Amino acid sequence: MERPFDIQIEKLRTKIIKMCSIVDEQVGLSINSILNYDKSLADLVIEIEEKVDRFDVKIERICQKLFALNQPVAMDLRLIMSALKINSSLERMGDLAVNIARNSKDLKNPPGFMQRLNFEEIARIAREMIKKSFDSFINSDAELAKSVISSDNQLDEFVKVNSKILIEIMKEKAENIENALIIHSVLQEIERLGDHAVNISEEVYFIIKAQSLKHRGDLDIEDSWNIE
Amino acid sequence: MKEVKIKINDLSVFFNYIQALNNVSIEFFSKKVTSVIGPSGCGKTSLLRTINRMNELIPGFKINGEVVIDNIDIYDKKIDVVNLRRLVGMVFQRSNLFPKSIYENLIFAPKLHGINDEKELKEIVEKTCIRTAIWDEVKDRLNENALSLSTGQQQRLCIARALSVEPDILLMDEPASALDPISTAKIEELIFELKNKYTIIVVTHSMQQAARISDYTAFFYMGQLIEYEKTTKLFTNPVNKQTEDYITGRFG
Repeated sequence: MERPFDIQIEKLRTKIIKMCSIVDEQVGLSINSILNYDKSLADLVIEIEEKVDRFDVKIERICQKLFALNQPVAMDLRLIMSALKINSSLERMGDLAVNIARNSKDLKNPPGFMQRLNFEEIARIAREMIKKSFDSFINSDAELAKSVISSDNQLDEFVKVNSKILIEIMKEKAENIENALIIHSVLQEIERLGDHAVNISEEVYFIIKAQSLKHRGDLDIEDSWNIE
Repeated sequence: MKEVKIKINDLSVFFNYIQALNNVSIEFFSKKVTSVIGPSGCGKTSLLRTINRMNELIPGFKINGEVVIDNIDIYDKKIDVVNLRRLVGMVFQRSNLFPKSIYENLIFAPKLHGINDEKELKEIVEKTCIRTAIWDEVKDRLNENALSLSTGQQQRLCIARALSVEPDILLMDEPASALDPISTAKIEELIFELKNKYTIIVVTHSMQQAARISDYTAFFYMGQLIEYEKTTKLFTNPVNKQTEDYITGRFG
């Protein structure tokens, strides 16, 4: 016989997985709206935002209820604690996708300098990180979660190099500045998306292994249990 | 700094052919609260009663192994059980006050241990009541029958009575299971206060209570010690699957 608590936990997991798939779609659309200079995709991203916000509130309520009524411990406690944090990350990722979409709408014309950047590669790495972090949650795969964390340096490096290229592009022609500034913010937003994928992966690892990988795992020492 | 107060080595306890504890080795630390949890029949109470030799009155009781308090084996033939129980106080699930006045309940044990000076006895009564935070409630009714107190007050008076002979160790067998939430909270606050002075072992069915009050938690199952850890660790990241299943309510 399944306990009501287990049914609630399963509901929580399902809600998060659904939210993951919506956010994944939002991120994909926002990036494609930049790549294809398609403003209708950007509108879609903004439209979806309300759905994400609803999930955010709903998941928070479920967690609150689970804490208050069941006093969860061990694996259950970790799952609910981390569900709250994953939820915040997902909500922030939705916001970032909206920011990218708004930036896409601000582009006056298709930026001609895109082929000089590694934009597609950057977007690919970020989307791969996001997908892996979601899959690690869905399949409770600690190793997959860990692999996301190591991809983050590559993404950060690419964004750094491309920011420099964008500065060069701005220096070359004054009419490039407006679009280059927009693409510069988009790159920063994609970089932040990667950070959230890392945060989610850290939470997944914590749920499964009860070990913190935060701050490169350096601080997860026995002493961290002492509150005083 | 943790100092071992009670050391139990390879303890097995039998009641006729039933084995209540199976090769248990555990150390209880001085001035810490340790909770003992586990399903009914897992040996929690047998363990507690072994620590002040209360099982011996039960026919068919047999013990193997050692129970060492302050480096002394308490099952040694030379040990005086009355003195042992002065050192190791016990509080039960339901209050077991004598149908006498509050005052007489509190002086009963000190008198048994040879204290007859009225002034000294009065001081003991006041001191133990203050220590158990029940003084304000009983100071004006010390001559009333102890059974006229509320259930929660009676239970705190039992704790005061256990402390009247200055024990080092306090054993508590489900001390709050018959109490309402407010009285339970008072008992828990009291346990928290008392751990500065005493080594406390609490048997409890309430996992939340164990989590709230204890520094260490031991999980027993079928007479065996399954896991023994700091409470924060045991309730957030238990190592053993059986512990995890028990504390998350997935047992069986």
